[in-house]
Amino acid sequence: MQLLDAPLALIRAGLGNLAAYLAAHVLLCLVPAFAIAGAMTALIPKESVTQFLGRKAPKYVSYPAAALAGSVLAVCSCTIVPLFAGIYKKGAGIGPAMTFLFFAPAANILALVYTGGVIGPDLAFARLFLSLAFGIGIGMIMALIFRRSDVLHDQQTEDAFANRAGMKRGALVFLILLVALLLSGTLKIGLLTNTYAELSLPIAGLDRFQETLSQLVPFDPSRGEEGVTAQGAVLIALLLLIALSAWRGLDNVLEGFNAWTWVALTLVALTLLVAALGVDPGTGEVALRLTGKSVGVVLALAALWGVARRHLTAHELRDWMWESWRFVKQIFPLLIVGVFGVGVIRQLIRPEWIEALAGRNTLVGNLAGVAFGVFMYFPTLVEVPIAKMFLSLGMHRGPLLAYLMADPELSLQSILIVSAIIGKLKSWTYVAWVALFSTLAGLLYGLWVDGVNGWLILGYLAALLAVLAAGLWLASRRNGRQLASLPRASSHG
Amino acid sequence: MLTVKILGSGCPNCKKVEETVRKAATGMGAEADFVKVTDYNQITQYPILSTPGLVINEKVVCSGRIPTEAEVTTWLADTLASA
Repeated sequence: MQLLDAPLALIRAGLGNLAAYLAAHVLLCLVPAFAIAGAMTALIPKESVTQFLGRKAPKYVSYPAAALAGSVLAVCSCTIVPLFAGIYKKGAGIGPAMTFLFFAPAANILALVYTGGVIGPDLAFARLFLSLAFGIGIGMIMALIFRRSDVLHDQQTEDAFANRAGMKRGALVFLILLVALLLSGTLKIGLLTNTYAELSLPIAGLDRFQETLSQLVPFDPSRGEEGVTAQGAVLIALLLLIALSAWRGLDNVLEGFNAWTWVALTLVALTLLVAALGVDPGTGEVALRLTGKSVGVVLALAALWGVARRHLTAHELRDWMWESWRFVKQIFPLLIVGVFGVGVIRQLIRPEWIEALAGRNTLVGNLAGVAFGVFMYFPTLVEVPIAKMFLSLGMHRGPLLAYLMADPELSLQSILIVSAIIGKLKSWTYVAWVALFSTLAGLLYGLWVDGVNGWLILGYLAALLAVLAAGLWLASRRNGRQLASLPRASSHG
Repeated sequence: MLTVKILGSGCPNCKKVEETVRKAATGMGAEADFVKVTDYNQITQYPILSTPGLVINEKVVCSGRIPTEAEVTTWLADTLASA
């Protein structure tokens, strides 16, 4: 029997972790995030950003636009590869293409929201800010190193970037409301967490149910494990119902709404409302707390409903639902497997190991974080629960950020794609720079966490980027002179 | 004669586009050859910035989204008329 006990305990730990995650993190954070990602794909015309990525766009426009494209347009690989190839071969060149490639996996809406919800807004913000700074930095370095071959590409046409488009105002309002829904559900500020009204329902037995749950899903806060509340159990049940109805209502939504579509949408709204309520099980009765969060969620949902009815066409709504559902189908199953795996692995890793290796913000610690990120490959978003596990096992937030920056950037998949399009030499140069910059990002953020003056750190960062920009400027000036003395290979302008 | 190319790595949206075009073609009684282009080197030969892309007789008519059946019918009819 002893032999069977260990694997059983591991499976139980995995399932426990999964249940805790579904109940605590998925709803108010991931459900709106998937809806936002879907809305971005369906409602933002890609031309509204790509018009700034043509060859003639000046550098101070094309680099930020590349970062924007990474975070807004590229939530899925369907867009990343063609857009990357397009920017590189026909558009603004290798620099902005690299910025785009660097920024997309680290700072798209799903990754940021999930990082913020699971680990903390500070780390999500650091991830966004440092990815932006270093994404542009790496883009500039690559443009500098490979400026000769970039000139060749510049001779080709750029038809793909000629189209322009703006965004419909109704769609923009819809997107902003979705963000408001996300923020009102996840921000932890007094206005939203205070209780404004309380209601007691005479439902007996919920407290016993809660006790049973804590026995079923044992947890140890000191190891970073979370339990499942009675409210969480209700939410998991609702999630299962959503999954069932969405399969029948959203999978074929492009052909038109059916009864199941409405069931799925109603269930999603209901789930968000339940998740935003405060529930305290007592003996013989249940206290429901109406918090600022619940008010915010109700208001945001009502406004979304109004805008969707009045300003969006049925076709736009269909596209939005299909894209959101497609993200869920693509990412969620892998996330579930990943979270289960994290629960199992957590039992096998001793906190002492992590603490000894990366417990403090040292160069070695940050390098260890990056090395783990480079050699391990996890599907989209799974890096976040893994980072959470490291954090609870005693990893310093600096090395943790280094890992979070390196892991999604340097997946095997992205390296293969990059080398197919730009060649092996360029892709390994890119990998080296990402490793270096992730380490730097971790070190700088670690300094910040350790209480070093923020201005000093910003100074380091600015100095680093200034040196890069100056180098690029010098090189492009010299390059321009060389070019001017050569006869033009093509007269295309 | 119509040649319809679907550009894309085989993601769910590419399949939806193919379905839509097949329906539109059947609906108007047009015969069409379907070619799936999944190789990125070939896809990037066309001026598109995101998949799925839809190409009718070597002309890109739509990319980055799933067109409606009515749109596709118009494109197919236009191509037939100009051929």
